[in-house]
Amino acid sequence: MRVPLKWLSEYVELSLDADELAELLTASGTSVEGVEKVGGEWKGCVVGRILEVLPHPSADRLSVCRVDVGGATRDIVCGAPNVRPGMVSPVALPGNRLPDGRSIGEAEIRGVVSSGMLLSERELGISDEAAGIMELDGALQPGTDLAEALEVEDTVLVLEITPNRPDCLSMLGVAREVAALTGRRVRRPRFDLPEEGEPAASEVKVEILEADRCPRYVARLIEGVSIGPSPWWLRNRLRAAGMRPINNVVDVTNYVMLELGQPLHAFDFHLLRDGHIIVRCKREGERLTTLDGVERELHPEDLLICDPGGPVALAGVMGGENTEVNPGTVKVLLESAHFSAPGIMLTSRRHDLSSEASYRFERGVDPAGCLFAADRAAFLIKETAGGRVRRGAVDVVVKPEVLLPRELRLRVGRAARLIGITLSAPEARGILQSLEMEVSTAEMGGESPAGVAGEGVPPPPVVAGGEGDGEVLRVKVPTFRPDLEREIDLVEELARVYGYQRVPATLPRTSNNVGFLTREQVLRREIARVMVGCGLHEAITWAFIPFWWMDLLDPERKRLPERPLRLRNPLSEEASVMRPTLIPGLLEAARFNINRRIPDVHLFEMGRVFLPVREGDLPHEPLLLGCLVCGRWVPKGWDQEAVEADFFVLKGILEALSRALHVEDWSLRREEYPFLHPARSAEVLLNGEEAGFLGTLHPRVAEALDLPVGVEIMELDVSTLVKAAREVPPYREIPRFPAVQVDLAVVVREEVEAREVEGIIREVGGELLREVRLFDLYRGGQLAEGEKSLAYNLVFYALDRTLRDEEVRRSVEGIVRALGEKLGARLR
Amino acid sequence: MIPEELEEEMLSHPGLGAVYRKLKEELAGAADARRLEEIRVAYLGRKGAITAVLQGIKELSPEERRSTGRLANLLKQGLEEELASRLEGIRRRELEESLRRERLDISLPGRHIPYGTRHLLSSIIEEIEDIFIGLGYRVAEGPEVELDYYNFEALNTPDWHPSKSLQDTFYVELPGSGRSDVLLRTHTSPVQIRVMESTPPPVYIIAPGKAYRHDVPDATHSPMFHQVEGLAVDEGISLGDLKGTLETFAKRMFGEDRKVRFRPHFFPFTEPSAEVDVSCNMCGGSGCRVCKGTGWLEILGAGMVDPNVFAYVGYDPEKWSGFAFGMGVERIALLKYGVPDIRFFFDNDLRLLRQY
Repeated sequence: MRVPLKWLSEYVELSLDADELAELLTASGTSVEGVEKVGGEWKGCVVGRILEVLPHPSADRLSVCRVDVGGATRDIVCGAPNVRPGMVSPVALPGNRLPDGRSIGEAEIRGVVSSGMLLSERELGISDEAAGIMELDGALQPGTDLAEALEVEDTVLVLEITPNRPDCLSMLGVAREVAALTGRRVRRPRFDLPEEGEPAASEVKVEILEADRCPRYVARLIEGVSIGPSPWWLRNRLRAAGMRPINNVVDVTNYVMLELGQPLHAFDFHLLRDGHIIVRCKREGERLTTLDGVERELHPEDLLICDPGGPVALAGVMGGENTEVNPGTVKVLLESAHFSAPGIMLTSRRHDLSSEASYRFERGVDPAGCLFAADRAAFLIKETAGGRVRRGAVDVVVKPEVLLPRELRLRVGRAARLIGITLSAPEARGILQSLEMEVSTAEMGGESPAGVAGEGVPPPPVVAGGEGDGEVLRVKVPTFRPDLEREIDLVEELARVYGYQRVPATLPRTSNNVGFLTREQVLRREIARVMVGCGLHEAITWAFIPFWWMDLLDPERKRLPERPLRLRNPLSEEASVMRPTLIPGLLEAARFNINRRIPDVHLFEMGRVFLPVREGDLPHEPLLLGCLVCGRWVPKGWDQEAVEADFFVLKGILEALSRALHVEDWSLRREEYPFLHPARSAEVLLNGEEAGFLGTLHPRVAEALDLPVGVEIMELDVSTLVKAAREVPPYREIPRFPAVQVDLAVVVREEVEAREVEGIIREVGGELLREVRLFDLYRGGQLAEGEKSLAYNLVFYALDRTLRDEEVRRSVEGIVRALGEKLGARLR
Repeated sequence: MIPEELEEEMLSHPGLGAVYRKLKEELAGAADARRLEEIRVAYLGRKGAITAVLQGIKELSPEERRSTGRLANLLKQGLEEELASRLEGIRRRELEESLRRERLDISLPGRHIPYGTRHLLSSIIEEIEDIFIGLGYRVAEGPEVELDYYNFEALNTPDWHPSKSLQDTFYVELPGSGRSDVLLRTHTSPVQIRVMESTPPPVYIIAPGKAYRHDVPDATHSPMFHQVEGLAVDEGISLGDLKGTLETFAKRMFGEDRKVRFRPHFFPFTEPSAEVDVSCNMCGGSGCRVCKGTGWLEILGAGMVDPNVFAYVGYDPEKWSGFAFGMGVERIALLKYGVPDIRFFFDNDLRLLRQY
């Protein structure tokens, strides 16, 4: 909402400067988003009077005008056909710039020096009118600064009006707010409306079939108007307020809407059939072409303004082309109606059509203001377009109760407690009265508005003297405040006019309230910390993915849901599916970095994925941990060779995670996934429960994404991890007797897995064998093709004694024998 | 070598005086272990000078014997100690010298130890959580795919309400279901409703998480973003409590020297409502590009829980009152760390991730 201060000052005395006013409004809830100075773009333009118009010596279509620009006469070459002696027009003097950026200099035009420029409205940025030079009021003094002469210099407050305050969508409404905040009085526009001729009702009939949606309709009739451009003051104000002037009648309807907040519509009376207005819903087969030139398919619930021939306007949203005011219009039916908010909101939304009118109606317009607005507009139409205002208005009220002020009760003590201030009844009364509410005292203390006996909640100590509900005020709310429906709404009014800044800052008396993280929340943080400690960087990737990921990762939907969750209205196909896995996001992140020549990518993400469940239920949203590594894990350094980021890096991270969370039993089970390398993938089991997977990205997928081979990914379900995590285990005895270490290298066939060898070693080694660590894997050399050597370091100890060499030797012999029998292993 | 007060007596001793004088001279000139060993042999060895004096003692008179014996033993002991300490010093010096030859180029890079980083948004969320845990709050969660009821209706935002902008909402198709009231939550506020539905008051929670709006991404808009919601319901909670709580938060988060401003505003689910600004850290409040000349940065929306909301969850508004607030995590990151573009948070550019 743009509020030019000169306009505003017609309705309230402004005792503050623009910045102070802006601060005051902002502090009371009418946020000022900007304070704009307008009119400055006309620097160097003055009023000029054309003294003489001479033909240009060498150009037929140009003339040379001698122009009095105040104390000096200048010759200005001009091509406009409408120049004539005595005409007063805007002149741009040399050395300045036009609003469109052109600079004006002394220029020779076909042999004649032109020292300045006569201006059209388009050149001034006022309108698109470029056929001739703009003509000004002949009484203006030549040489006067143009902006001053046209009164365009002003300060405009740009207000953010919240949806609950439709009353502030007008100059008068903002003036009311300013008056309340500065202790002034509002001046409503005053005028005497001369009426003539037969009553309007003799030619106009209004019929309302939808009383709930249109409780009131006021029509006025003005005849003998002549359509043309509006006078300057009117166009100037519309422009400053951000609206484009159209013609005098339409401009007046817009002007009054901006002035009073009541949207108006003007019909060409002769285009309305029988002067008969019918407010009803759409009937079968009806269509309407609105003023924006769009032919609209109507919805059965759309409220329409009709004549007996059919729709002529989309009620409260936009007029129809068929009855539009046009240059030939001589008789105007002026509509000033009240439409209820929800219907307008839904119609506007259905047609994706918003107008200044619908914007106001869907927030709530004062139903009591229709007649005054109609009178005001009729008066101004007569002033600007001539004609006669027919006697009387047709004022049809089918729901009179909407015109009555609402009555509310306010418990002053309760209000003070909710705000956290001390507030006396006279103070509260004063604030409400400044907002044009009628206040009387109902009774002392007692019942709540709902009629429930007050429970006598003891007031917090901040309210000095606050006992119970205190005085109860009876408040009549003016009809222009549809937002004030309940006691709490009045509390808000008290708080914001009292001033939030004056409310003392306190903390709740949290008597028995303890803040903490749950075990799961603590463990989630721990998981993230372990990931960071392992060298991974946390990513946050988009929750929506393109559908093609589904087919790329898992064309047969062996692992991913058959039908993932889709958005009905995605921003694009590329963001239309709610991710069922973190993998696409992590792969995209890898791609982003690799494309920027950062080939070593180490990422993790903790985020939710979305899995459809039973029909009609909200999806399951498990929190997953995803990891991705590719490129090198350790870059080549001056001291070490590079280490590739391979399968075993992620497995190492899984080990670290299991250790940090004290997961007692974790393992990998060979398992195939459609998006993983079939021989390099595994399922992760935590305490026997499936927790996710780990493996190398399938080269097919890598190729399709232009990723290098050897991208390693892991995905784990965080709640399974949390479930498998143990509290820190109790103390375990530390050995006091020395351990015996034995190295053991065995040769086995290639297909024997390390897990099998280690399993037998542990089984046979028994409880004295405390640690088994693989320290070498060797192929080639003296080993035969298809053989490998595994070298283990074994640690034996007992808690109660020093082991004898003999015991250890026997144990190792047993291990070797068992390995030989079960796996065909031999000592190396 | 010997106590100072005996110096005179030693020097004037007929047998030891000369030995002592010579010894002192030689010790002063001895610079290495070999020379010290020669001195030891020359004085303490079997044929050493001091040894000789001690051996000749028995030939002296008992009186001389006592004083000579005392001085000679003293000198012997003193010399032994002196030699030991001189040798120790030399050995230490030699070690130092040899260690100095093992000089490292300490300007070489350290060995590669992997280190990772949290995402800036996660760090900020944890920071916010910790501030509120300190104020007695717990952390709650709710689904990102929500029902219209929780996202709008129970938050006092009926279908026809102007602040329910459908264009801002992503709607979700549940496979095999015709439901049209499933959406991506447009804020974290539905968690308020879910918590109050399942918990009797008092309630003190914050709810961090993702939210979604149908915005084409640009420098300040993202269709996916993070919010932290807060809710406190108790007996006697006032607007002043909301002010105090958020002022405490803002100063912890942005700095004790920052000013905090509360402006009345409108939200369908709070009344009275407020927007909260902190003074601009870029210009210190005098007005700049970041704060658009106002000196203030808007950081969150808040208000007293609307009695209609309490009605939806079955709390008695006559007994309980409360406040709620919500803030955008990305916005805080933009303001606090000067990140210029909200899209950067989801690019996962390692050059950015590694900065935090």
